[in-house]
Amino acid sequence: MSGGATYLARRAAQKERVRILYRRALKDTLNWAVHRHLFYRDASDLRDKFEANKRVEDLDAIDRLIADGEANHNKFRHPDPYIVPWAPGGSKFNRNPTPPSGIEIIHDYGREDNA
Amino acid sequence: MAFRAAMLRHIRVPVQNLTLKRPILQSWSFGNPTRSMSSHGDDHLDREEVIERVLSVIKDFPKVDPSKVTPDVHFQKDLGLDSLDTVEIVMALEEEFKLEIPDKEADKIDSCPLAIEYIVSHPMAG
Repeated sequence: MSGGATYLARRAAQKERVRILYRRALKDTLNWAVHRHLFYRDASDLRDKFEANKRVEDLDAIDRLIADGEANHNKFRHPDPYIVPWAPGGSKFNRNPTPPSGIEIIHDYGREDNA
Repeated sequence: MAFRAAMLRHIRVPVQNLTLKRPILQSWSFGNPTRSMSSHGDDHLDREEVIERVLSVIKDFPKVDPSKVTPDVHFQKDLGLDSLDTVEIVMALEEEFKLEIPDKEADKIDSCPLAIEYIVSHPMAG
């Protein structure tokens, strides 16, 4: 019983690792691709690499494959990835910040008939 | 500081309701004068728009049958996708709404209601 439970827990952890690895790898593929049409082919290649080991059953073999994949991804990580402008490290981070608390923004333009 | 705030509150200029003749709900466009161009998060998207855009993203996903897509589908159970397809959809949603979702949170989004909820409550979704 507990053997089954640990098996399932280990599988779940592995699945999560694969999803996150795929997500990071896909993002880096987009970072490396100069044009969108190049990205499509690279992304499809990446997907094929993941699909190739879809049917592996042995837990230790899966762990090894994931570790290989993560090492490989680390090697090809983009030095200057795209960051959404408002996020830390983005080009608009902390620009145009929220006004100080004493100042209100009046959204009804002073209209008074909507009380 | 308090004086400055009081001054600013006092001298606001009433604008005559010239701009108020327009209908409130307008589809998004560059010419829309009521759209806030600031980035401090007080320009939330409304729910209907989020739902519509989320659904259009999912319908455009190549492996999805567009007729099956409704606001409460689960990506894997109802649409027959696998976990990697879900990752791709979440990334497409991030691009559509110009978001950056942390990996752990993005991993939890596996259905339409969760995606809509996350995007509606995100202050920076645009």
